[in-house]
Amino acid sequence: MVELAIFLSTVLFVSLIQIAIPFLVKRTVAFGVTIPYEQTRNPKVLKYKKWYAFVTTVVALAVIIGLIVLSTILDETKLVLVGSLFPFFVLFSGLSLYFYFHYKITKLKKVHEWYSGIKQVHYADLDARSKDEMLASFVHFIPMIITVTLIILTVNLFEQLPNQIPTHWGPDGKPDAFTDKSWMSVLNLPIVLFVLQLMFFGINFFTKHSGIKINAGNVTSSKLRQLRLRKYSSWFLFVTNIIMTLLFAGLQLNLLYEQLFSDSFLLLLPFVFLLVVLVGALWLAVKVGRVDSDLEGKLATGESSKIESVDEDSYWKGGLFYFNPNDPSIFVEKRFGIGWTLNLANPIGYFVILFPIAIILILSFLIFKWF
Amino acid sequence: MIIVDTESDIPLYRQLSTQIMEAIVRGQLSPGDTLPSVRAFAGDLGVNMHTVNKSYHELEEKGIIEIVPKKGAVIIADIKSQVSSDHIDNIGKQFRPLIVEALVNGMNKEEIYDVITNVISKIYEED
Repeated sequence: MVELAIFLSTVLFVSLIQIAIPFLVKRTVAFGVTIPYEQTRNPKVLKYKKWYAFVTTVVALAVIIGLIVLSTILDETKLVLVGSLFPFFVLFSGLSLYFYFHYKITKLKKVHEWYSGIKQVHYADLDARSKDEMLASFVHFIPMIITVTLIILTVNLFEQLPNQIPTHWGPDGKPDAFTDKSWMSVLNLPIVLFVLQLMFFGINFFTKHSGIKINAGNVTSSKLRQLRLRKYSSWFLFVTNIIMTLLFAGLQLNLLYEQLFSDSFLLLLPFVFLLVVLVGALWLAVKVGRVDSDLEGKLATGESSKIESVDEDSYWKGGLFYFNPNDPSIFVEKRFGIGWTLNLANPIGYFVILFPIAIILILSFLIFKWF
Repeated sequence: MIIVDTESDIPLYRQLSTQIMEAIVRGQLSPGDTLPSVRAFAGDLGVNMHTVNKSYHELEEKGIIEIVPKKGAVIIADIKSQVSSDHIDNIGKQFRPLIVEALVNGMNKEEIYDVITNVISKIYEED
């Protein structure tokens, strides 16, 4: 029953976000296509969004019913195997629909020449940076104190540790896989944690130094949205860092001092982590998604003028991947989803994201001898 | 507020310089204020860093900003300061071809004055 509850809540979470996305993204981007403000209420655009929501809802319901039915037929192990595929059905159907409507709107925009007669400009606000409330990047150094403490503790206790180090825990919270004791295997968790904390620092730092994008067609709303996204996503990142640090610290302390925590407490930790991240993501989606989206309601009068920011569709591959060598920004706002995406034309971005992941993978290869 | 028009014949960097000078004239930027870093400004605008760099250098040459290492581009132009006669001469030289063009098209003194007055009030009106 626990498995079923986890799968159901995952599917429910994924579906809710999925269904809501077209209404939470910037209203000037419909299915990854830039449209001028005067077309955001275009009946066809609204119809496509509603269809998308309807079909994804039906798929989500079918998946939920399917899961419940399967849980009565299959035994636990089979349910885990099959059930973990189900959230991907929802994601896949959403993505297929996205591409279908992306194509439809691209065509509409071209045929009706939505940008003819609109002056396209680059816009910047000299005040925006002073109003930016992103957390300072150095806050990500604070949890590193815990990491360093863990490393010192581990080094001091190394001699006393047993010769077998647990690497995997079963559903009952008891370890069921082990590796030989070595400096690498014992320090694996704190080192991975340290690399992740560095990555979080990098994400915050480079987001802060990325452009504050304001749409000249609706300065008030688009500026508020950008500032909110920057502020709340930096908070989200920091809270995630803290919770992640606590999770890793709990696991490492348990490795150092056997029986420090009860099995059920250790089982609970990852769920608390997951819950905080999911709730945080929803909160971010609501805070950001309310502004300058369809949810904001009608446009402030006088702002739907004939000036708009430059149509940058040519830099967005498939409406999803940003590749703009002219833009020094490393992170830019996502077009279909809430959050940030990489400017793939900027090598620093690859470094910030891929380098830490590569280090973590290499470490695990070395320790678990996957070669 | 800084706006550069992609379809204008005037190069982007020059539009940017004009926009920064207009912000100074309107009092949105005062002496001692720093402009955003080249990277940040180019990111905000979504233009190439060279464009911003070129504009900053142009403004530096004109004596409107000073590029201070580690601090960035600092505004030094003061709208309240006394303008030098050299500077007036220089502006006059730059006006000359435009005034000639106006005269050759049959504009008289008053009409030219009107144009200038209009441009000045427009600069202050825009926000």
